[in-house]
Amino acid sequence: MPLVKRNIDPRHLCHTALPRGIKNELECVTNISLANIIRQLSSLSKYAEDIFGELFNEAHSFSFRVNSLQERVDRLSVSVTQLDPKEEELSLQDITMRKAFRSSTIQDQQLFDRKTLPIPLQETYDVCEQPPPLNILTPYRDDGKEGLKFYTNPSYFFDLWKEKMLQDTEDKRKEKRKQKQKNLDRPHEPEKVPRAPHDRRREWQKLAQGPELAEDDANLLHKHIEVANGPASHFETRPQTYVDHMDGSYSLSALPFSQMSELLTRAEERVLVRPHEPPPPPPMHGAGDAKPIPTCISSATGLIENRPQSPATGRTPVFVSPTPPPPPPPLPSALSTSSLRASMTSTPPPPVPPPPPPPATALQAPAVPPPPAPLQIAPGVLHPAPPPIAPPLVQPSPPVARAAPVCETVPVHPLPQGEVQGLPPPPPPPPLPPPGIRPSSPVTVAALTHPPSGLHPAPSAAPGPHVPLMPPSPPSQVIPASEPKRHPSTLPVISDARSVLLEAIRKGIQLRKVEEQREQEAKHERIENDVATILSRRIAVEYSDSEDDSEFDEVDWLE
Amino acid sequence: MLFKTNALSPQVAAMAGQEDPVQREIHQDGANREYTEVITSSIKKIADFLNSIDMSCRSRLATLNKKLTALERRIEYIEARVTKGETLT
Repeated sequence: MPLVKRNIDPRHLCHTALPRGIKNELECVTNISLANIIRQLSSLSKYAEDIFGELFNEAHSFSFRVNSLQERVDRLSVSVTQLDPKEEELSLQDITMRKAFRSSTIQDQQLFDRKTLPIPLQETYDVCEQPPPLNILTPYRDDGKEGLKFYTNPSYFFDLWKEKMLQDTEDKRKEKRKQKQKNLDRPHEPEKVPRAPHDRRREWQKLAQGPELAEDDANLLHKHIEVANGPASHFETRPQTYVDHMDGSYSLSALPFSQMSELLTRAEERVLVRPHEPPPPPPMHGAGDAKPIPTCISSATGLIENRPQSPATGRTPVFVSPTPPPPPPPLPSALSTSSLRASMTSTPPPPVPPPPPPPATALQAPAVPPPPAPLQIAPGVLHPAPPPIAPPLVQPSPPVARAAPVCETVPVHPLPQGEVQGLPPPPPPPPLPPPGIRPSSPVTVAALTHPPSGLHPAPSAAPGPHVPLMPPSPPSQVIPASEPKRHPSTLPVISDARSVLLEAIRKGIQLRKVEEQREQEAKHERIENDVATILSRRIAVEYSDSEDDSEFDEVDWLE
Repeated sequence: MLFKTNALSPQVAAMAGQEDPVQREIHQDGANREYTEVITSSIKKIADFLNSIDMSCRSRLATLNKKLTALERRIEYIEARVTKGETLT
């Protein structure tokens, strides 16, 4: 239904009540209708003036544009006649350095805003009743929002759409980051897992059997996958079809590792999922085939480097972990993966201790996993709560670069405290000098309990116990005699310093959060000024980023 | 013989003009209404004329606008091609 833009005011000529006491009513009606005709003519003339005014304004703006275009054309014609092809020197730098041409794309935005309302419609709108004056209550609100916005908000849908667009852009940025991380991770994975042991045997088998019988390798793997999964799993056809496409000379070990890992992980997922129902089967698997073990290990323990060691030590953790409820398996894998990745970057001295301790700690400390998960994200930062400083020191010790000195102190540390978290047995090389360590244990304990939380005091404490360890035992025996006297006096001062530092750290974290919030608010404020343009740009960014996104229709946001 | 003309005059008078004032009024009212009708129909014609002029002018101005923007884009491109050194970053 078309909206009436201009309504001529006296709608009916003679639908009025006649005054009483008139003799000639017909004349009266005639006169009234003639008067209304005059009023109608006046409103008609007013609207005519409005119509021609709008048309004139548009034409006037076009005249300006045409004049400017005329000037530009004249200048261009002059400059074109002055062009001389011989004089032009094009260097390669010019071609690359020049800014790419982009035409000014002006899009129509905010078409139905209150400001773009035509005058006659504005007058019609003014005739209507106004909403209740709820804005009187605005100064009494805590939100800072206008009171009338809760009654009627003309910008409601636009705000909704704007927030949705911003959210979508942020989500897609996060997805991009995750994809980049995955892309960064995936190329590393094939580097870590060595194929040497399998390849040698298979190559020898190939050489022994010859190219004709090399297909048996693929069949063997299929059989193992079937044993692990059980019959009739549809995705098995994929490796089979894939192998069928491959020539007989290839074996599955020659497949690209991503696909291999996918196959193995999928196989392993099925293995892990199934044992929930029957606990006996996993030990059956362990007792039975030897080949499913590498498949289980590759997924459960993730990226364990030392395969010759892991099959021996990894068996027990792998087959115990599926039987407990699901949370432990991802946690040990997370622990092992993150600890091992950190250990990759750390010094090589404890290569053997790291793989066994994480699974051992994971198995023996299922209640403690939640704190280590955030701790391993920031291995250098100690736990904010002062009392559990000791146990967190114990657990992130392997991943931290200062693994060697801390490992020495770590096995000593739980002993006086009596908290055995499985670490004393694993690291064999560090506890080699136990007699030298034990007399200095109170020194190390004191040094470890007293450092205020923070990175700098901790490394100083770690080399601290080193120094007393190096000299022979008598000086270390002398030191503990003096240090206990110092402890009660220094305890309150150091604890205050520690608390002060803790508070400073917390404030720092809070300050960063507040700064981030302020930045976001500032961004939002800046956005509000150029809303439509920036939004349209962000939509363009969205569409440039999301190549596969087919949810939105371009027609909706174009015009 | 003089009395005969007096007997015919009222009928003639009635036929010739409206002797009844009501009839006169109604007749006059009819004439007024016709006049008003002419005026209102012309007002409607003016209104229709204004609407049609508005629509046609807007459509022509829109085509003009389209042509102008196309011209402006072309000129921008040509300027970018022809001018030397102004587009360097």
